[in-house]
Amino acid sequence: MWNLLRFLFFLAISVLVALEGFALEMLKLRPIVSGYGDTMGGGLKQPEGVGCDGKSTVVVADTGNGRLVKFIFTGEKLTPGAGIVLPQLTYPIRLQIDSKGDILALDGKTQRIVRISEAGEFKGYIDATGMANESPVVPRSFRIDKNDNLYILDVGSGRVLYTDPGGKVLREIGFPKEYGFFSDITEDPAGNLFLLDSVGRRVYFAAKGSATISPLKGGLEENANFPVSIAVDHQGTLLVVDQNGGGVVILGADGSFRGRQSGIGWKEGLLRYPSQICVNSNGMVFIADRGNNRIQIYSTVQ
Amino acid sequence: MNLRFKTALVLLGVMSFAAASFAFSQDQFKLKPGAKGKICLVCHVAFQEKMKLPFVHTPVRAGDCSDCHNPHTSDHGKFLAKSSGKICLTCHNGIVPGKAQSIHKVVVEGNCVKCHDPHASKNKFNLLLAGNELCSGCHKNIAEAIAKDKFQHRPVREGCINCHNPHASEKSAFLLKSGVPSLCTVCHDANRPTFTRQHQGYPVARSRCTSCHDPHGSDRGGLLWANLHAPVGSKMCNQCHLDSSSPDALKTKRTGFNLCRGCHNTMANNMLADNRIHWPIKAKDGCLNCHSPHASKGASLLKAPMKTLCGTCHPDTIERQEKSQTKHKPIEAGECVKCHSPHSSNNVFLLDNTTIDLCGACHDWQRHTTHPIGAKIIDPRNRNLNLDCLSCHRAHGTSQKNFMYFDPKMELCVQCHAALKR
Repeated sequence: MWNLLRFLFFLAISVLVALEGFALEMLKLRPIVSGYGDTMGGGLKQPEGVGCDGKSTVVVADTGNGRLVKFIFTGEKLTPGAGIVLPQLTYPIRLQIDSKGDILALDGKTQRIVRISEAGEFKGYIDATGMANESPVVPRSFRIDKNDNLYILDVGSGRVLYTDPGGKVLREIGFPKEYGFFSDITEDPAGNLFLLDSVGRRVYFAAKGSATISPLKGGLEENANFPVSIAVDHQGTLLVVDQNGGGVVILGADGSFRGRQSGIGWKEGLLRYPSQICVNSNGMVFIADRGNNRIQIYSTVQ
Repeated sequence: MNLRFKTALVLLGVMSFAAASFAFSQDQFKLKPGAKGKICLVCHVAFQEKMKLPFVHTPVRAGDCSDCHNPHTSDHGKFLAKSSGKICLTCHNGIVPGKAQSIHKVVVEGNCVKCHDPHASKNKFNLLLAGNELCSGCHKNIAEAIAKDKFQHRPVREGCINCHNPHASEKSAFLLKSGVPSLCTVCHDANRPTFTRQHQGYPVARSRCTSCHDPHGSDRGGLLWANLHAPVGSKMCNQCHLDSSSPDALKTKRTGFNLCRGCHNTMANNMLADNRIHWPIKAKDGCLNCHSPHASKGASLLKAPMKTLCGTCHPDTIERQEKSQTKHKPIEAGECVKCHSPHSSNNVFLLDNTTIDLCGACHDWQRHTTHPIGAKIIDPRNRNLNLDCLSCHRAHGTSQKNFMYFDPKMELCVQCHAALKR
């Protein structure tokens, strides 16, 4: 009798473990709605960036038109707002929204981060200051943490700069010795950092507070052509945008491959040369679908 | 049974096993006394001539044919006891160091017979051919280039193995016996006054000599590469580096892009005026990600031929072309700059022009006979897109003919012409 109970107990544990693994592998993106233009009907052109907050605001870097476009996403409806055109931001490529509603945008032409108010007014530049080494700062991407501090991916000097909201450097983390080219950076809810190497097709990791960046296990060679953007959901699952392969690669927090979503195409839900990805606290996924001149919104389904 | 007795018993067992193994390996086929190789030569008579060659493989000379061949059956060609690569390693297992930095491809493939005759040869080490003639068989391009060079590096002429280890190198890439510059300084004494004078007094003894010199040969004196950066040609090293008398003489005056724009200012300004700059230019090593600062074999001081160089960071696009049913000629020819501007552009993919004009530069028939395309033609699949060449074609190739994204009959055309869907 005891043997039978013991057998049933281990069987139940095994089934639970298997089901958990299965559930992790089954993260899927379900297309909800797409945004094509501003409230005046002006179409998006090669949008490269997208920022989302925990509420309903979505901002798109309408790169080809040299402006930002705000959207409100409620329920499953996406309502476009007006375009924001600023002389200080002529070629936006990466966006973030901070806890106060400010929009932070990286300009691809000047390689400077611009702070814009919720109402669309220019508030100033965020230039990193106070580095140990005053070598040139060239931000390729950046990420805001829950305290509105910034992680700036500085490809000019091969480091991550952790700054306060004004740009004062609090900490520096040097890039590892061997890497290809880092294109994006993200932070998980536990404060761990993930860097995306587009050329080496690999995700790198720095534990919270660590000064060392090291590669996660397994590369993306088999699953991505040219990964360009990375985000992490509230469960710690990594979502990597494959620009040239037109898709999203799903990875576990340890870098293990969990699946691939979407594909190359024109239909809604499919992607052509997508760029930045943003995941909000509700698990909604926003992707700047550059080649299709639109932004796409997906829900995540386990 | 005491411990001493037990130990003696174990030792006796081990020794008996070793003796039996030795005896078995000596005569596993129970050949008649004195038979050995002689019995093989009864049928393989041609080997009698081969045995007269000056260099005979030791087991062949000893008549131990069964060291490599199984006289009865085998899973491998020529009745080899193991696969061709593994059989050699039975005795020659030390030819590849444990931590080799480079290994000759033929060694990795186990193709020892590409260079060696396993039985006998008129050349030392049973080589099929003597000296550089053997290497030239595979490395034709290098051999031909050296033959044409006005100045040839003497050690190369005398033998590739002066610098290269033919099997593997523990210390360096390219099978070099040791790394550069330590390999070079074996012959070229960096302390000689003439050496210092030729290098403008810069302490280059610890630099990478191949940054300026072609180690095989060149048409330029001093074995300099064919294309020189102007300051190198005019021996003005201090245009970029600190003065030779400085304690840190090899340090550059500035780093990355900012150093190069000192002279290439117009080019730099043009780049910065464009919306999109090729990111490596603004990255840590700047222009040196693609260009050599001193000299190069190819034009524009590129580090490697364009297809190889661009493929270093964009391997997926090069692979796509290689797998593609139809080849795009500029890519095949390694002329990436036919379509892309490698420094900067206002267009996505750093294209030189808008898609239709760019493609039309070569495919001029599209200007008069083509599917409707252009700014006024809306893509029926997406109201935000106009139809252009890339609406149906992928310039680096696809699994379909003519770079079509999908099968034109069943999948691509019907995306717009839905009424015609079968």
